[in-house]
Amino acid sequence: MTDKINIAIYWGAGCGGCDVALLDIDEKILGLGEMANIVFWPIAVDGKTKDVEAMPDKSIVATLYNGAIRNSENEHMAKLLRQKSLLMVSFGSCACYGGIPGLGNVTNRKGIMDLVYTQLPTSDNVEKVFPQIITHTKDGEIDLPEMYDTVKTLDQCIDVDYYMPGCPPTTNLINEFLGVVEKHVKEGAPLPPKGAMIASNKTLCDECKRKKSVKKLDHIYSPHEIAIDQEKCMLEQGIICLGSSTRAGCGAKCLEGNQPCRGCMGPTAEVLDQGGSMLSALASVLKVDDKEALLNENDIAELMAQVKDPLGTFYCYTLPKSIIKRKVTERKPFKKEA
Amino acid sequence: MSSDQAVHAEPKAAESGEFEPKLIVFCCNWCSYAGADLAGVSRLQMPTNFRVIRTMCSARVDPEFVLRAFANGADGVLILGCHPADCHYIGGNYRTRRRIALLRVLLEQYGFNPDRLRLEWVSASEGQKFQKTIKEFNEVVKEMGPNPINDE
Amino acid sequence: MSEKTGSVLVVGGGIGGVQTALDLAESGFKVYLTERKPSIGGVMAQLDKTFPTNDCSMCILSPKLVEAARHPMITMMTLTEVMSIEGEAPNFTVTLKKHPRYVREDRCVGCGLCAEKCPSKVSSEYEVGMMQRKAIFVPYAQAVPMKYSIDASNCLWLTKQRCGNCKKVCPADAIDYEQKEVIEKVHVGSVVLAPGFEPFDPTVKREYGYGEFKNVVTSLEFERILSATGPYQGHVVRPTDHKTPKKVAFIQCVGSRDEKVGNPYCSSVCCMYALKQAIIAKEHTAGFEPHIFFMDIRAFGKEFEDYRARAENEYGIKLYRGTRVASVDEDPESKNLTLRYSVGSDVSEQEFDLVILSVGLEPTKSAKEISDRLGVQLNPYGFCQTTVYNPLETNRPGIYVTGAFSSPKDIPTTVAEASGAAAKAGKHVFENRISIDDVVKETVETDVKGQEARIGVFVCDCGINIAATVNVPSVVEYVKTLPNVVFAEENKYTCSADSQELIKKKIKEHSLNRVVVASCTPRTHEALFQSTIKEAGLNQFLFEMANIRDQCSWIHMHEPEKATQKAKDLVRMAVAKSRFLEPLSKSRLGVTHSAIVVGGGLAGMTAALDMAAQDFNVDLVERSDKLGGLALNLMTPEGGISPSKYIADLIEKVKADDHITIRLNSTIADVAGFVGNYKVKVKTPEGEKEIETGAIVVATGGQEYKPKEYMYGVEKNVVTQNELEDKLANGRFDSKKVVMIQCVGSRNKDVPYCSRVCCSKALKNAIEIKKKHPKTEVYVYHKDIRSYGFRELLYKEAGELGVKFIRFPEDKDPVLSKDGAVLKLVAHDQILGEDILVKPDLVVLSTGTRPNPDNEELAKMVKVPLSKDGYFLEAHMKLRPVDFATNGVYLCGLAHWPKFMDETIAQASGAAARAMTIISKEFLETQGIIAAVNEDVCDGCGVCEPVCEYRAITIVGSDSNDPSKLKAVVNEGLCMGCGTCVAACPSGALEQKGFKTSQILAQIDSALEGGAK
Repeated sequence: MTDKINIAIYWGAGCGGCDVALLDIDEKILGLGEMANIVFWPIAVDGKTKDVEAMPDKSIVATLYNGAIRNSENEHMAKLLRQKSLLMVSFGSCACYGGIPGLGNVTNRKGIMDLVYTQLPTSDNVEKVFPQIITHTKDGEIDLPEMYDTVKTLDQCIDVDYYMPGCPPTTNLINEFLGVVEKHVKEGAPLPPKGAMIASNKTLCDECKRKKSVKKLDHIYSPHEIAIDQEKCMLEQGIICLGSSTRAGCGAKCLEGNQPCRGCMGPTAEVLDQGGSMLSALASVLKVDDKEALLNENDIAELMAQVKDPLGTFYCYTLPKSIIKRKVTERKPFKKEA
Repeated sequence: MSSDQAVHAEPKAAESGEFEPKLIVFCCNWCSYAGADLAGVSRLQMPTNFRVIRTMCSARVDPEFVLRAFANGADGVLILGCHPADCHYIGGNYRTRRRIALLRVLLEQYGFNPDRLRLEWVSASEGQKFQKTIKEFNEVVKEMGPNPINDE
Repeated sequence: MSEKTGSVLVVGGGIGGVQTALDLAESGFKVYLTERKPSIGGVMAQLDKTFPTNDCSMCILSPKLVEAARHPMITMMTLTEVMSIEGEAPNFTVTLKKHPRYVREDRCVGCGLCAEKCPSKVSSEYEVGMMQRKAIFVPYAQAVPMKYSIDASNCLWLTKQRCGNCKKVCPADAIDYEQKEVIEKVHVGSVVLAPGFEPFDPTVKREYGYGEFKNVVTSLEFERILSATGPYQGHVVRPTDHKTPKKVAFIQCVGSRDEKVGNPYCSSVCCMYALKQAIIAKEHTAGFEPHIFFMDIRAFGKEFEDYRARAENEYGIKLYRGTRVASVDEDPESKNLTLRYSVGSDVSEQEFDLVILSVGLEPTKSAKEISDRLGVQLNPYGFCQTTVYNPLETNRPGIYVTGAFSSPKDIPTTVAEASGAAAKAGKHVFENRISIDDVVKETVETDVKGQEARIGVFVCDCGINIAATVNVPSVVEYVKTLPNVVFAEENKYTCSADSQELIKKKIKEHSLNRVVVASCTPRTHEALFQSTIKEAGLNQFLFEMANIRDQCSWIHMHEPEKATQKAKDLVRMAVAKSRFLEPLSKSRLGVTHSAIVVGGGLAGMTAALDMAAQDFNVDLVERSDKLGGLALNLMTPEGGISPSKYIADLIEKVKADDHITIRLNSTIADVAGFVGNYKVKVKTPEGEKEIETGAIVVATGGQEYKPKEYMYGVEKNVVTQNELEDKLANGRFDSKKVVMIQCVGSRNKDVPYCSRVCCSKALKNAIEIKKKHPKTEVYVYHKDIRSYGFRELLYKEAGELGVKFIRFPEDKDPVLSKDGAVLKLVAHDQILGEDILVKPDLVVLSTGTRPNPDNEELAKMVKVPLSKDGYFLEAHMKLRPVDFATNGVYLCGLAHWPKFMDETIAQASGAAARAMTIISKEFLETQGIIAAVNEDVCDGCGVCEPVCEYRAITIVGSDSNDPSKLKAVVNEGLCMGCGTCVAACPSGALEQKGFKTSQILAQIDSALEGGAK
């Protein structure tokens, strides 16, 4: 069929879950096959970089890029595919926000290498051998992609047309997007505006079925510390749930599984920094009572210390997309507060 | 009383190359902004390197504002509000201090010296405390050196 | 004319008259505000700072003047004299004489070209003769109205038909030499007289050398010397050599407490203003060493005693207690001045560089004229005659008085009284109230939606307040380079009336859709500029201020370059925010036309009756089982009537008034709602009642201190003043030697404040004893005798009747002991310098006043603060003495501060008037700066709901088909616009109008421009 469109699917720094999610659309995958030639999909179809390089510019109608930009190969492929594609879709949380690989921004390349190659209990590396970008062997040079200090989102590296967050994006969202593309291909229906987010505009609370009453917390618990009421708002039970600061579209699946939202869908369009926003919300609903005026700043610090790891909790999926983006290093050491 | 000092507090000519921090100061409209005004009315002299942003209540200061200031290179952020129990909006400042306490932990996780963010209470009648707070905070931040955001 | 009129005449455009006019206007009455001078503002406009807050006088006054001038219900008539008032309330016919200005007000733009070219120089009244003005002039830079006038007796054209320069140069063709006096008649229902006072002219006190020695100046002259706009630009220098004086003497009571000049009364304000001047001068002048010579320091007002203590202890100002200065002599060489003064019988001399005469307050020169023309009685000292129980009333029904015309008083008392007079005057005209909508046609608002920002920036010199430090022209040039700025200019005073016209003109000329003013603080001036741009058709919220004075030029005085850079940054930040500003609308809310008064004492009953008199229903809530309060215990007559008798009559009046519902044994349990629409839960013996009300008056009174000192409660011959009054009134007094001890429970370590009334109360009772029992010896032991105002005459009378006064030191209280049956009092006499022993048979303790312990509970419910001493704290000590920061809640009586009955009555009327500015309105407008929900994003997560202290947010269903879909709703009437919920909102659905995230981020980014990234 000559009127089939070309589609590419690629993974950067990710776990492969996004690729699997594409296969999870069941029989709809057949429709995709009818509509499109899959010209590049390393996880499923054989293909080489040079094949892509050989394609004419803009010959791919849409590339679904999942995974973050962690190394030079991720970056090179993102740029290459951008050049060859009409539409670039940032597919999944890692591409959109950095995702779990983005948590690497609490350290840097050296930190990660040291940890993985020398400090893990399972590492047995007395010679302290580390992967090198270029290794000279007697058979010649072999090279590895260069790992960066900082994980970036796809749109921090190339121009992106659409975003589909989720870890991984749910079947519904994928189908919705494929439907739009199909309509465009078959009927010439207009595409969404550039920059569109293939998800809801509201937050997860909109999709969550749990009952809400008054948000005044006495105490913060980890999910394992209490028996979680299936019916009641997770946050109101004292469990940090990022649902109220997270974009809807996933169908609140974690909540259905009686687990709090961790924020993989990222913030709404109105919020710059998902973590900062949730931090503020959580701090605001910790109860204020009559004795508040008597509390001193240490009491308050102690109260807030119930939140064990604010960075890891509030930026679990969005650190590279946050305002600060990554860990910094003060020139002068400072005393950690007790 | 430092009234005479106030008049004679000749500025130390900033030695060339000396690090002069950039400070962002959020003031609530009712207490701290009025306190800052009072410092002016009383002609209390202080370093010039801070910029005040007025909000109605310190509780309007979204952690995002603080993060944005640091991302843009602020060397210190000072949030000033009404004293506990004196908030014009009853309990806004209580929310502020919870947020700031948690935000300081977060900043430390980010690798910042958390003392780059300070919360102080300055009432409408505390022009002197405003002056003192600015002077002290300036010294503290000067000692820390520049915001490391540019270093990476 | 027999037709009733809803108009009131207010005579005098000082702060008192202006406040009365504003309160009446805000209550729906038309006001004619007349002023003899070419501009309003009175003496307050001449002051540099005000005590005890050291606020800049002009800065707090000017917005009020501008508001009065632009109020649609107020007709301002300057250069106007009242010739006669005929008829009776509410049908007065007033004859006014309007003197020619020789400048057409409708044409003059206040450009000042005329004055520049005028060859005739005369000494400036505003600058008390220390500077010159021209024959065509405005009295001062921020004068309202900003219209020039010609002083006919000094104009060459009007006297000799020569010159005519002003007419030649006037670009607006405003000069009109042909103007004549105009007689005009207006019909009003009532009249308020507020002609103010004159400072005493010390020329007659030849011993002080005023007029002869140039370095002897009056306090008003010194006020101008201190002022940045004054003759020396705020540098404290002495007139002869323009050198900074080091040693400076303030001589108190010049023209006060002085029978030789005919002013036996105390002027009430001089002690405090001298302390203020000493503090301000010392703050600005290196090595300034003030010495104040006085008899008693009269720091009786709210937080005045703290101010006194700071002056003495922190600033090291030297106070010479109990001192009379006999003479001042000049060294003809150095022009220094030598003071001869006596403390007790010791005579000393000291040399000073400058001498300031703290001149007293005298009746205005026009007082006699007013009295003759209007048939209003004056007291023997030329002030308007009033009585204890009718402090705001003249002898002529329907004509009221306020401010220093009735007695010397400070600004807050004047302002409270001014409101009180408005309540009284309104009583005659309330049936003809009109709505603002009948007067004002809404200006059509320019729609700026979708327009690119066109920003106009006005940068103020504030005279030299900004311009002396900040290079204003360079700021203006810089601002012009900023994106979207299409117009920028420098103004001498951006707040002046002519600048308002200019701003409006520029908005039109350049199609501005955003205005930024870089000047002082938005806290005092934002409202002024907002109404200006509103008049030009711009939504008032398309306005932003940069504070380059209070928070820049004033705090970086020695760093002009950095201050200039900072000013540029601050303006750039304001411009950045202004790009994101949006027009905001205010909605109208209904008003409950009734009030609740909390407290059934003198203050509460007075306020209730004043509101009832204008047809408003009032719930009077009293916690005890009877009305009357503390005044029930006051027996010794004042003005021939005992307070307890007056109170009894008042209770009958209250009971007889159908408008007033008395609720005894009742307390406030909860206050919900907001200004105009409060819901107050009252705990009554019949159970809890919810009362809807528009305003709340807090009149909960105070308590008498129950002494633990001086064997009180143990020794039966130690009593309080109230117990003495009871003895005197009921014939149970038979003592031969009475000792009164002042400041029992006041002015000590625990309670540093002065309870204000105890001195005069002691005097009153001492006189009563002497009159009834002339042989009884009476001793009054005191730190200072604080019988201010006409109460000084009690002091004099007591002295004449043989009462003996012994001054003991601040830190050394008398010691009372008992030897057998004999009481022994040992005290250190400061004048004699030795301990003296008296054996009294009755010791009377002048006990202080204490705040109610349950003030805190009520304060929490109505969301208002308490002062550090535990009294309710008003919105502004100077100009909002009966208001709270919480709108719709007002304050009077001892709940505010200890005070006398006449003061309480006037203040209670003031609180009533302020409450009536709310409950008389058909509607109130909501605030523009409130939280708003973006319903596209909000899912009703509920984080905001408990965060709101005003319960303004509720979570409701958003989809009638799906009950699980929720959203947050903001009640616009309840929202106070703090923004707490906005920062808490995790989804970004909440925004604070006027402080949107995008706006604040723009400021942050702009502040750090050139920083990282």
